[in-house]
Amino acid sequence: MQVSFGAGRKDRTMSGVLILGSGSLIARACASEFASRNYNVYFAGRNKTEAEKLANDFHIRYEIKSSGFEFDATNFGSHKDFINNLFELANDIEYVLIAFGYLGKQEISQENFSEAEKVIDTNLTGVVSVCELIASYFIPKSSGTIAVISSVAGDRGGQSNYIYGSAKAGLSAYLSGLRSRLCKNNIHVLTVKPGFVDTPMTYGMKIPKLLLASPEKVGKDIFKAMLNKKNVIYTPFYWKWIMFIVKLIPESIFKKLKI
Amino acid sequence: MVNFFKAEISGFGKYPKALCKITRPSNPDEIKSSLSNGTSVIPRGLGRSYGDASLNSKGYVVESLLLNKFISFDDRSGVLKCESGVTYNDILKTFVKRGWFPGVTPGTKYVTIGGAIASDVHGKNHHKEGSFSNFLISFKILTADSELLECSREKNSDLFWATVGGMGMTGFITEAEIKLKKITSVFIKNKTLKLKTLEELFEKFEENDDSYIYSVAWIDTIASGADYGRSILYLGNHADKDELPYKTKKSEEIKVNYGRTISIPFEFGFTPLNRLSLKLFNASIYNREKENEDYIHFNRYFYPLDSVLNWNNIYGKNGFVQYQLIVPEENGRTAIDKILHKVVSSGGGSFLAVLKKMGDQEGLLSFPFKGYTLAMDFPVKPGLTDLCRELDKILLDYGGRTYLTKDSILDENTFKKMYDGKWQKWLSVKQKYDPACRFRSELGERIGLCQVF
Repeated sequence: MQVSFGAGRKDRTMSGVLILGSGSLIARACASEFASRNYNVYFAGRNKTEAEKLANDFHIRYEIKSSGFEFDATNFGSHKDFINNLFELANDIEYVLIAFGYLGKQEISQENFSEAEKVIDTNLTGVVSVCELIASYFIPKSSGTIAVISSVAGDRGGQSNYIYGSAKAGLSAYLSGLRSRLCKNNIHVLTVKPGFVDTPMTYGMKIPKLLLASPEKVGKDIFKAMLNKKNVIYTPFYWKWIMFIVKLIPESIFKKLKI
Repeated sequence: MVNFFKAEISGFGKYPKALCKITRPSNPDEIKSSLSNGTSVIPRGLGRSYGDASLNSKGYVVESLLLNKFISFDDRSGVLKCESGVTYNDILKTFVKRGWFPGVTPGTKYVTIGGAIASDVHGKNHHKEGSFSNFLISFKILTADSELLECSREKNSDLFWATVGGMGMTGFITEAEIKLKKITSVFIKNKTLKLKTLEELFEKFEENDDSYIYSVAWIDTIASGADYGRSILYLGNHADKDELPYKTKKSEEIKVNYGRTISIPFEFGFTPLNRLSLKLFNASIYNREKENEDYIHFNRYFYPLDSVLNWNNIYGKNGFVQYQLIVPEENGRTAIDKILHKVVSSGGGSFLAVLKKMGDQEGLLSFPFKGYTLAMDFPVKPGLTDLCRELDKILLDYGGRTYLTKDSILDENTFKKMYDGKWQKWLSVKQKYDPACRFRSELGERIGLCQVF
């Protein structure tokens, strides 16, 4: 039976979006923004079953093409094959969102180098490894957008999370360089700096409710910034001002703060 | 290690509150880890039960919100398989535009499927189509010994009927298979009747219940004297797309979803709901409404209160109690009349009071049976417990009971009288699957369902 329920599906085929770090709620929210506009979405994450389940959910929910893949950000050796195979299978990918990350526990990172190493490997080394491969795929076709989730924690290192913060600072610097290198190839690089977001990463932290953004809000901000080819965004927007002030504090005072 | 955070939470009525350790697993393995260290747990969805059904101050509160994926959908039969944290909102957003609607819907779309099963929720169509379980085919549940069991009417049927309406105390539902129903438009053809007395209202229920799948009445619980019992009866059926007037079709057809919602982001310091404001509010509802027939968008028809998010905040930080009762059809009118008199004379009154006719229901602790249900909201203040106890007494005299999903006041004795013959059976199933009472809530303990065997 033909049912008329308004506009219905657009028949226009859109390009594809690759999500690296499918366990991220922010990534999932951002993917929803794309999928509801008929982009195809490819999820890759450490837990292959979960990535596949998510892809299946998106297929049912948005009637788009979606699939899930296994991807381990810290298994650098596997990245080349992963990217080559993936882009062969999904040749419509125009947008990439890199959303994996690992906060770890600051105290453990201080005492146990392997924890610090995991934090740096996940947040920085892993992104560098995979970004270069993606860039080399985008360069020949002179198009593509790479968005990476960094953090406001990378703007200034404080005692509460400086191992994570330093990895994210390195990441932000890396992205700024990558953006500059790729702009002549018409490839866009977006640095996303979220504040506190209501995800498993912030569970148990004492964060004022007003400063805790929903993954949906942040995901939507990222989506808009990706389409509008923004360079660096803070999300929610007020973090720009918060970090502006935090950066102004003289080091002699800042070092005594418990930030 | 279980990743949890501590917070003071409550049900939708904001009363009572409890400091709980909350976990939010993102896959079934993580639920197992909250079960593995020997403490008690209670599942929680969107926290839309009113009282303390989803609170557990002695162990973990395990939220289902991240388990919210669709698993499969058959667009010929309308059978949907999904994880337990999927909400009505998810289902409506996805499937209404494809011509499918939930078989049963409660008065808000911010309810998870897990919660709908645990409360065996009912809607305006209960007298015709029963409650949620009538559209539930099967579910998977993680029991106390970390086993994942599939339950249906054929398989593990004892656990199926104990879980339906079982308030989350039999295990953690991970996924469910439900049946949606076919619709051809997003509109409900509604008929509004204004009635002056309770007798008139009951008569109209009898007269119309067969020809309308949706029916519900609003009663003015403030009006006394000559206006006592004045009410408005809403009757509805899904409109067929061919019967829609051209203008309706064009104007709203594409708006499958959502007008804007507004939010009340904080609790009022005091509640603006007092006798005077309630009187004005109730009178304005009665006087505004006209007797007519019209086509109403499903959002406005089923979820009028969802347009104000967190409307419960207007009751202030003390919160409120929703007292929902049911009495058998026989002598039901007298019972409702008695109860209403009691409420009106108490001067408490209710912000909103709704009456509806119900049909039979199978779940061991499911609320409905053939009779009349009445739901009223009361702000929490001194004397409320006494009023509820008095209402409980009338209920017991007439063989009635209250709805556990809304409850925060019931005591063990009264509960056991109200659900006599049922709770014993439920407890024997509980003993079989959860002898150490690992699934525990404040509600369960209060009404004597959380004993260690």
